[in-house]
Amino acid sequence: MTTPPDPADLSAPAQAVLVESASDHPGPLLDEAPSGKKKNRSQLADIWRRFKRNKLAMTGLVVVAIMVVLALLQPIITPFDPYDQNLLNSLQPPNADHWFGTDVLGRDLYSGMLYGLQLALIVGLCTMLGSMTIGVALGALSGYRGGFWDALVMRVTDLFLAFPYLIGAILVVRTFGSGVPQIILALVILGWPTAARLMRGQILSLRESEYVEAARSIGASDTRIVARHILPNAIQPVFIYSFTGIGVAIVAMASLAYLGVGVPPDTPEWGRMINQGIEQVQVAGKDFLWIFPSAAICITTLAFAFVADGLRDALDPKLR
Amino acid sequence: MGKFVIRRLAQAVLVVIAATLLLFIGLFVLGDPFASTGDKTVPPETQAILREAFGMDKSLPMQYLTYLGNLFTGDLGVDFNQRRAVSEMIGTALPATARLALVAIVLDVLIGVVAGIIAAVFRYSFWDVLVTVLTTLAIGIPTFVIGVWLRQTVSGWWIFPGVPRSFTQVVPWWQEVLLPAITLAVVDAAFIARLMRGSMLEVLRTDYIRTARAKGLGERTVILKHAFRNSIIPVVTYVGISIGILLGGALITETLFQYNGVGFLLVKSINQNNNPVIMALVTFAVLIYVFLSMIVDILYAFLDPRIRLS
Repeated sequence: MTTPPDPADLSAPAQAVLVESASDHPGPLLDEAPSGKKKNRSQLADIWRRFKRNKLAMTGLVVVAIMVVLALLQPIITPFDPYDQNLLNSLQPPNADHWFGTDVLGRDLYSGMLYGLQLALIVGLCTMLGSMTIGVALGALSGYRGGFWDALVMRVTDLFLAFPYLIGAILVVRTFGSGVPQIILALVILGWPTAARLMRGQILSLRESEYVEAARSIGASDTRIVARHILPNAIQPVFIYSFTGIGVAIVAMASLAYLGVGVPPDTPEWGRMINQGIEQVQVAGKDFLWIFPSAAICITTLAFAFVADGLRDALDPKLR
Repeated sequence: MGKFVIRRLAQAVLVVIAATLLLFIGLFVLGDPFASTGDKTVPPETQAILREAFGMDKSLPMQYLTYLGNLFTGDLGVDFNQRRAVSEMIGTALPATARLALVAIVLDVLIGVVAGIIAAVFRYSFWDVLVTVLTTLAIGIPTFVIGVWLRQTVSGWWIFPGVPRSFTQVVPWWQEVLLPAITLAVVDAAFIARLMRGSMLEVLRTDYIRTARAKGLGERTVILKHAFRNSIIPVVTYVGISIGILLGGALITETLFQYNGVGFLLVKSINQNNNPVIMALVTFAVLIYVFLSMIVDILYAFLDPRIRLS
C-alpha cells in the first residue's frame, strides 16, 4: 500500500485501497485521477459496475426505486384519504373503485397500503441513518480514544445487546408512548450498539496502520485523522450493516403493530392491517385483508435484502 | 484461563444487574402502572391501597433492592390482575415454550443438515441451486409473514388445529406445537443449511478426506463418517444459541398461533400493563441471553488462546 506523504491529498488512503480492489477488474486506472472529485466519481462508478452485474440485486433495486416513487407520490395517486371511514361500504372485496378492497371501517385499502409503504420507508430510512450516525460516532470515540471512553461505550453496548431485539423495542415504545417517532427511537436504541462495535473493530485495526501514523507524525489533529483518514476506510461494514437494518426495521415495526404496540390504533400500517384482517375479522372469503399487507412486507424486505447483498459484494469484492 | 472466566462472569453479572435496573426504571419509575387507569375510574385512596399491596409505597431504591433480593430466593411477586404468583405463571408457560423450542430445533437441524450435505456433495447440481434459492427466500421472508401465511392457509386442516379455537376444544400438545414449530424452523433451517454447506465444502477439500478416499473407502462412509463429524461443529454452536433465544420466548410466533408459552404470556402482560410479569419474563430472557453469550465466549477462549490473553 502506498503511504500518502502529502497532507493535502486527503482521500489518498481510500484511493490506495481502491487501486488494490480495482486491479481485479477491468476499469480505469485510478492512481492517475487528478482531482479529488473525479476520484470519487470513479470510485462510485466502480462500485456501480460491480453492482450491475448482480441480477438479483438489480431486480431488488428496481423494486426499491418503484416503492420510493410510489411513497413519494402517495398523496397524489391515492384516490381516497386512508383515514376516511365509510361504514356503509365496509369489507368490500377488491373492485374497480377499491383496488385492494375496504377494511372493517370502510377505509380504502389501496390508499392505506400506499400510506403504510410511506411509513415503512420513513421508519426504515430513519432507523438506518440514526443507528449509523450514533454507532459511527460512539464507535470511533471508543476505538480511537480507548481507555475510559472505550470501557464506557462497550459496557453500554453490552447492556443494550442483552435485550432480545423485539422485547427491547416493545419496552422502549411502552415507556415513551406510541407513535412513529417512538418506534424509530426504539429501533435506533437497539440498532446502534452493533454498528458501534463494528466501527470500533475497524478503527482498532486502522489506528495502528502506517498511513495513520504518518498523518499523526505530521501533526494532524485527532478529529482530522478520524474524519478524513480513518472514516473513509472504516465505514463500509457499518454502512452495510445499517443498510441491512432497513428491512429489519420494517419487519420490526410491522411485528410491533401486530402485537398492538407502536403506532396508534387507527394508523394504516401493514402489521396493523394484518392484525385486523386475521384477529378481528373472521369471515370466510375476506382473505384480501391480510394477503395484500403480508405480501407487501414480504416484497419490501426481500427487495431490500437483495440490494443489501449486492451492495456487500460491490463494496468489498474481497469478501466474495 | 481461570482469570478470563472470572472476568467474563463478573461482566455478565454486572450486565444482568444493570439490565434489571434499566427495566425497573422503565416499568416503575417512568410510569405509574396504577395511575394509568385514570383518576376518574380509580379513586386516589384505592390507588394508595393498591400501591401498598404491591410494595410500591416504599422508596424507589428500596423497591429495587427488595426486587433483587427476592429474585435470588425465587420470589417473583404476584401479578396485578389476578394476584397469582408470577413464578407459578412462568412455571406453566415455560414447559410449553421448551417443547416448542425443542420441536423447532429438531425440525430445523434435520432439514438443515440434510439439505446442506446434499448441496455440498452435489455442488452446482440442480439440488444445490434449489437449496440456494430456497434458503435465500427463507432468510429473506420474515418469520412474521411466514407465520401469517401458515396460520391462514393450513391451520384447521388435517392434523393442524385451527387457530382461534374455543376453550372447550382439547388438542394434544404435539398437534398444537406443530405449526408454530414449523414457522420458527424455516429461518433456522435455512441458516443451518448454509452453514452446513459451507463447512462441508471446506472439509471435503482437506487432506484427510483425500486420504480416506485413497484408502478406498466408499463415498458414503467418507461423507457420513469422516466429513460429517468435522463439518457439524459450526451447526452445533448455532443451535446452542438458537435454543437460548427460543427459550426466551418467540413473541410473534406464539402470539400468532395463540400458543400459551412465555412469549404469548409476555405479550398479554404488556397489553394488560401487568408489570410484575413483564419484569420477571424480561429478566428471564436477558439472563438466558447473557448466560449463553458468556458460554460461547468462554468456549472460544478455551479453543483459541489468543482471545484469553488479550
